[in-house]
Amino acid sequence: MEEITGMLSQEEIRTAEICIEKALKLGASKARVTLSKSLMELFGTLDGQLDKVSHCLDRSMSVCLFVDGKYGTFSTNRLVESELEDFLKKSIATVRMLAEDPCRDLPDPARTAKDALTGKELSLYDPSYPSMTSSKRLDMAMEASVFERHKAEGLISEEGEYSDSIFDTMTLDSNGLRCRHTETSFEYGVEITVKDAEGNRYSGYWWDSTPRISDLKISTCCETAFQRAMAQIGPKRIPSGKYNMVVDSENSSRLVTPLTSALGAFALQQKNSFLLDTLGRKVFPEWMTLVDKPLTKGQTGSRLFDSEGVAAKETPVIEKGVVKEYFVNTYMSKKMGIAPTIEDVMRPVLEPCVAPGLSKPDRMDKEGIMALVGDGILVTGFNGGNSNSATGDFSFGVEGFLFRDGRIVHPVREILITGNLLTLWNNLLAAGNDARTCKSKIIPTLAFKDVDFSA
Amino acid sequence: MIKPESYYLDLFQVTPRGLEELAASGIREGGSYCDLFFENTTYHELLLRDGIVSSGGFHIDYGVGIRVLKGDRTGYAYSESTDARSMRDAVKAASLIALRAITAQPVYPPAPPRGTEGRSPQTPCVATLRTQAGAVLPQAEPLATGRTQPQRSENGCGRGQRSVRQLKDYYPFERDWRKAETSGFEPYMERLQQKISASDQRVLKVIVSLSDQVSDIMMYNSLGELTFDTRPMGTIAVSVVFSSDGRIENKTVSRSFRTGAEMLTDALLDEIASEVVKGIDERFAARRPKGGKMPVVMGAGASGILLHEAMGHAFEADFNRKGQSIFSGRIGEKVCRHEISIVDDGTIPGNRGAVNYDDEGVPGQNTFMVRNGVLESYLHDRISANHFGVSPTGNGRRESFRYAPIPRMRATYMLGGKSTKDDIIASVKKGIYVDQFSNGQVQIGEGDFTFFVKSGFLIEDGRLTMPVKDINIIGNGPQALADIVAVGNDPKVDDGAWTCGKGQSCPVSCGIPTVLVNNLTVGGE
Repeated sequence: MEEITGMLSQEEIRTAEICIEKALKLGASKARVTLSKSLMELFGTLDGQLDKVSHCLDRSMSVCLFVDGKYGTFSTNRLVESELEDFLKKSIATVRMLAEDPCRDLPDPARTAKDALTGKELSLYDPSYPSMTSSKRLDMAMEASVFERHKAEGLISEEGEYSDSIFDTMTLDSNGLRCRHTETSFEYGVEITVKDAEGNRYSGYWWDSTPRISDLKISTCCETAFQRAMAQIGPKRIPSGKYNMVVDSENSSRLVTPLTSALGAFALQQKNSFLLDTLGRKVFPEWMTLVDKPLTKGQTGSRLFDSEGVAAKETPVIEKGVVKEYFVNTYMSKKMGIAPTIEDVMRPVLEPCVAPGLSKPDRMDKEGIMALVGDGILVTGFNGGNSNSATGDFSFGVEGFLFRDGRIVHPVREILITGNLLTLWNNLLAAGNDARTCKSKIIPTLAFKDVDFSA
Repeated sequence: MIKPESYYLDLFQVTPRGLEELAASGIREGGSYCDLFFENTTYHELLLRDGIVSSGGFHIDYGVGIRVLKGDRTGYAYSESTDARSMRDAVKAASLIALRAITAQPVYPPAPPRGTEGRSPQTPCVATLRTQAGAVLPQAEPLATGRTQPQRSENGCGRGQRSVRQLKDYYPFERDWRKAETSGFEPYMERLQQKISASDQRVLKVIVSLSDQVSDIMMYNSLGELTFDTRPMGTIAVSVVFSSDGRIENKTVSRSFRTGAEMLTDALLDEIASEVVKGIDERFAARRPKGGKMPVVMGAGASGILLHEAMGHAFEADFNRKGQSIFSGRIGEKVCRHEISIVDDGTIPGNRGAVNYDDEGVPGQNTFMVRNGVLESYLHDRISANHFGVSPTGNGRRESFRYAPIPRMRATYMLGGKSTKDDIIASVKKGIYVDQFSNGQVQIGEGDFTFFVKSGFLIEDGRLTMPVKDINIIGNGPQALADIVAVGNDPKVDDGAWTCGKGQSCPVSCGIPTVLVNNLTVGGE
C-alpha cells in the first residue's frame, strides 16, 4: 500500500512497540506510548493575493512510565531508534527521583477501546486527501476573496487562510492496548477589517471546517466576514442594567466550557470547582440537557477513546437539570475513591429547549430565539474576561447588537456581562437547534434573562 | 548564555558551508531572503500535589524552521531532522512562495549591530525600573551606545558573506537546568508547600509546579549572518485553594526568569509563600462593585497588562503594515500626555522577555513605542521593517521552530512619573483600584481591550474601602492612553509567568508605575 505523508508508517508504529518493550526491560513495571504524526499545508492570502505558504510535518512520541510505584511523562520528537534507549534510561532515572504514588496506574483493560483498530472507524478520514495538490490548495485559498468587490466600500484588509491537514495518532500500552485515530481536516478562515467615514476600524471573521473537502463551504466565508464587519459600524452606548441576552451559536460554547471544566476530577479533587458535590443533584433548570456524543460518525470532535485509551461512549452530562457525570480518569478515580469515567468531555451537545411559559418558536435559530425573547442584547463576540473556577463568578467583555421586538436596532460594543454561572444557567430561556457542526462543542444559540450588562 | 560557535554547529550537525548552501538555495528558487532557525529545547516539569512531588517528566523538541521571503510574502516549512535531505526538502517547500508570488522587493538589509539601529535623535529619558524582587535597575536607554559591538569573523556582513555575531549576554546562568540534580528541587517545592500551609489555617489545597526550559538556538540567513544563543527559563507557580466558613477561594502566584537553577533561593520561596496568602481576608470579604464607567487606579507592576493589551498589540507592525491596527499611520502623532513614555525592552537581565537576539537574529534592544507622549515606533520584525523602510527592532519572535517569526512584545512597561501612589488614590472621589490580574485580550482594529481583575478595592473619597474581585474591565486603546492623567514614581516590572498568545505562545513581561486612567468600564452588578 502506498504510504501517505502525514500518516504513521509501520516502521514508526514498530518503534513505539519497541519503546514499550525497552521500557519494561529497563525497569518500568508498566508503560503507555502515544505516537502522533500530522501534516498541515496552509495557503494564506492578503487582500486577494497570495501572502504565505506553510508546510508543517510533525511527529512525536510521548511515554508514560510507571516505575517502582512512581510515575512520569516524557516526550521526544527524536524518533531515532539508536537514541531511544538513552531517552528511556534518562526517563526512568527521572521517575525514580519522584515520590511514590499508589494511585497511578494504567486503566483497567476491560474499560479500554477495542474497536479503534484502523483509525478510520469514525469516518473522519477523507480518502480524497492524498489527491490534494499545491495548485488545488492555491485555488481554494484565492477563490473566496471579496477584496476587489468591496474595496470601494471601506474594506481595508482581507486576510484569508486555506489549510488542510491529516492527523494520525496511536496509543499503545503494556496491557495490550492498541488504539488508533486518523482524521483529515479542511479549513478556511478569513478576517476582514473595514473603515467607516471617520476612519474607525471594525473587523469581522468567519470560518468553516470539515473532515471532508466536499463539505467545506468556502465561497461565502469572505462575504459573511465582510457583512459581520460592516454590521458593527456605528455602535451606540446603552445604559448599564439587566437585559435579556442571546448568544449566537458561533460564541455560545464559551459559556459551556466552564461547566464541563468544573465537572472535571482535577478541579473537584482540589475543591476548586463551583460544581463540587453536585453529582446526582439538580442544580440546573430541568429543561436543560447536555449530552456527550463522541461516537457520531463523520463529525468534528468525535473520538473512540481518550488519552488513556478508555472507550468513549454517549453519556448524559446534565440531564433535565441533574448533574449525571464527573470526568474522572484512572488516577483521579483512585485518589477520590470513585468510579472512573472518561477523562474529559469530547463532543458535548446541548439539546434544544424552551423554558416553561414560553411558546416554542417555529424557528429555533438565532432569529427565532430573538423573536421569542423580544428585547435584549444579541452577543456576537466575546472580548476577554474569565470566571472563578471555585465560585463560578464570571465577567466577560462582549460585543453585539441591541434588539427590540426580535429585530436588530444598533450595534453595541465596549460592554461587559457579570454574574455567576449557576445563576446564569438557571435563567436559561431557550437553546436553539442551530449549532455549528464545524465545532467540536455542539452548542446552539442560547437565550438568558436578567443578565447584568455594564456599559 | 552564548556558547562557542562549534557547540551549536556540532549540536545541529551542520557546517558553515552547508548553511550557506541551504540559504543560497532558497534564493536560487526565487526568494529575496532566506533564513534558518535551528532549535534544541529540553523542558522539565515537576508537580507537587497533596503534599508530594509525584509527577514529573521531560520533553525534547529538536528541529529547524526554514523561511523564504519574497518581498512581504512568507514561505515557511520545518523539519524535525537536520539531515541534508530533510532540510533541502523544507527549503523547497518554503520556496513555493517565491514561485507563486506576484510582486517582490528584492533586497533585505542586514540587521544593524546593537547601538547603531536607526532612530530619530531624541532627548534621553532617565528613569529607574524596579523589579518585583526589589532590585532597582538602571533604566536602559533604548539602543544605547556602550554595548558590546558584534564581532565580525569575516569582512563585514554583506550578502553571502558569513558573519558571526556575539553580543552582551542578558541571561548568563550558573546552574544549567539540564545538568542540575532534579532530586534537589523536590525538597524546595515541599518546603514551599509547607510554608504556605503553615501560614494560614484556611489553606485547603496547594499545588506547586516547577518547570524549566533550556533552548539552544542557531540562526543563519542569506545575508550571511550567523547567530547563536542558549536561552534558559525557570518558572515556579503555586495555586492555593482556601476554605472559610464553607466558602472557597483560590489564588495563584508565579515567578519566571531567564536564568539557571540558581533562581531557587530561600528569598524567592519566602516571597512566593508570602504573596500567595496576602490579601485572602479581603478576597473572602470582596464583593462585586456596581458596574459602569469610572476612574481606575492601576497599581504598579502587573497592571502593565494595560499597556500590553491596550497599546502593545496595536503597535505590532504586522497589524500596521496591513492597515488593521487602530494606530495605523499615526507615527509621530501625540497620543497622550507629555510625561508618558512606553517602551518594549528585551534587555532587562534575567527578565522573562529578555532576548540576546530575537528569533530573526536581530540583537535584543529597548524600543520606545511612545516617547514623551508621541508615538515613536512600531515593533518590527524584518518584514515590517523592510516594508516601512526602518531598522528591525528585535521583535521578530516565535514559539518554536514550528512557527515563522512575527512581531511580538518582550517586556513592555511605562517609565516612572512624578506622582506618589497615595496622591493618585487620594485624587479619586469615586473609582476603583486594581492590582492583580489573570488575563487580557484586545481587538486590534477596534482597539477595544479587556483585562480580568482578580482583586482590588473601591476608592471612595480618596481612600481604599471595599475589596472587589473577579471583574473584567474594558476600554479602548487610544482613548485609554489619552485618559491617563497621573503617572506614579514607582515603576515596577512584574515577574509573573506572562505568556502572550497571537496564534503562537511567547514569554513576555509587563510593568507600569501606579497610574490613573480617567474612564474605563468596570464590570459589576
